[in-house]
Amino acid sequence: MAAVLIGVLIVAVLAGGVLMWTRSRRRPDGVDSFRRQIDALSADSRRPTIDRMNPTEPPSDDEDGTHGT
Amino acid sequence: MVLMARDLAIDLGTANTLVYMKGRGIVLNEPSVIALNRQTGEVLATGREAWQMIGRTPGYIVAVRPLRGGAITDFEITERMIRLLLQRVGVSRFTRPKVVICVPSAITEVERRAVTDAARRAGAADANLIEQPMAAAIGADLPIDEPVGNMVIDIGGGTSETAVISLGGIVALEAVRVGSFDIDAAIQNYVRREHGIAIGERTAEEIKVAIGSADPTPDENQAEVRGRDLMTGLPKTVVLTPEEVRFAIEDVVSSMVASVIRCLSKAPPELSQDFLVRGMYLVGGGGLLRGLAERIERETQVPVRRSNVPLEAVVLGAGHVIEHYEALKGMFMGARR
Repeated sequence: MAAVLIGVLIVAVLAGGVLMWTRSRRRPDGVDSFRRQIDALSADSRRPTIDRMNPTEPPSDDEDGTHGT
Repeated sequence: MVLMARDLAIDLGTANTLVYMKGRGIVLNEPSVIALNRQTGEVLATGREAWQMIGRTPGYIVAVRPLRGGAITDFEITERMIRLLLQRVGVSRFTRPKVVICVPSAITEVERRAVTDAARRAGAADANLIEQPMAAAIGADLPIDEPVGNMVIDIGGGTSETAVISLGGIVALEAVRVGSFDIDAAIQNYVRREHGIAIGERTAEEIKVAIGSADPTPDENQAEVRGRDLMTGLPKTVVLTPEEVRFAIEDVVSSMVASVIRCLSKAPPELSQDFLVRGMYLVGGGGLLRGLAERIERETQVPVRRSNVPLEAVVLGAGHVIEHYEALKGMFMGARR
């Protein structure tokens, strides 16, 4: 009986721990997400997207072009 | 057949719709026009083909722009147009991409829902919205990640928006539902009122492109305009001068410039001083109006620079967001509220 109780207790504690861990993971860290956003907006990060429009860049693949523009 | 969906960014403009495909770039750039059979409701053409039909259709065909002033005026037709455009870039029931759509910042909650619903029903797995000036600033390659004042003026077909952006967020914003289509309409009205002839919206646009200007410019020419005489009903030709066109569009241009001035006055002083050095960036098809940059510069005393990609800046910016979806999803409309 005592073993069962201890088992239930351990399972409950583990379940609680897992629940708290997943909740803390789900909550976005403001500093990290802001940093990621700013990094994604940086000149280096923007460059590949902007270069897709750059007319001086030699076309690597015609399918990647801007047909109809 | 490739079943993996490539995520898309869409600049759903009043004048043109551009689509950016993740990893590939701009794959579609077509007028936002759809031609329908008036009797059966069947779609006959979209994009450039439908645009060529405007004002030249028999009675049973109607060529319409389903967006006006940056807002959906006909939900069902817009949905059909988006569906056909998405089909043209490979979206099917098996390939449902995530979609980021650029919309005017001043749209209402109802209009927002209309756009996202239209995209979802047209085949998008998920649809999120981003403000046009924010997308334009990214696409115009402005350093919006830095704590400096970046000012972007986006003159579209149906809206004119000015935004001050710093550290990835909009600091001040001013929008008016006035755009280059209002310039065309003003020219149409002037020619009808002063010369007594009726002209179509495509002719008015051609006049704007040929001799339209917001400020006097060197090498100005007159233009011959052909239309229908309102008295006799017969074809008639009149000559329009650039001064006449400037007079005709003055109210619209003044409204655009006043909007920029209001936005400047809303900007925090720390950022205002940056504009004097860095200038403001003009994007959008309406920004190509001759003399507009000079007119804004003259009235604000702030340098105005034109983007290298005025027509594509918005979709490129949204394309950048789709390329970095997870990092930038906090920039979607509604995410910050």
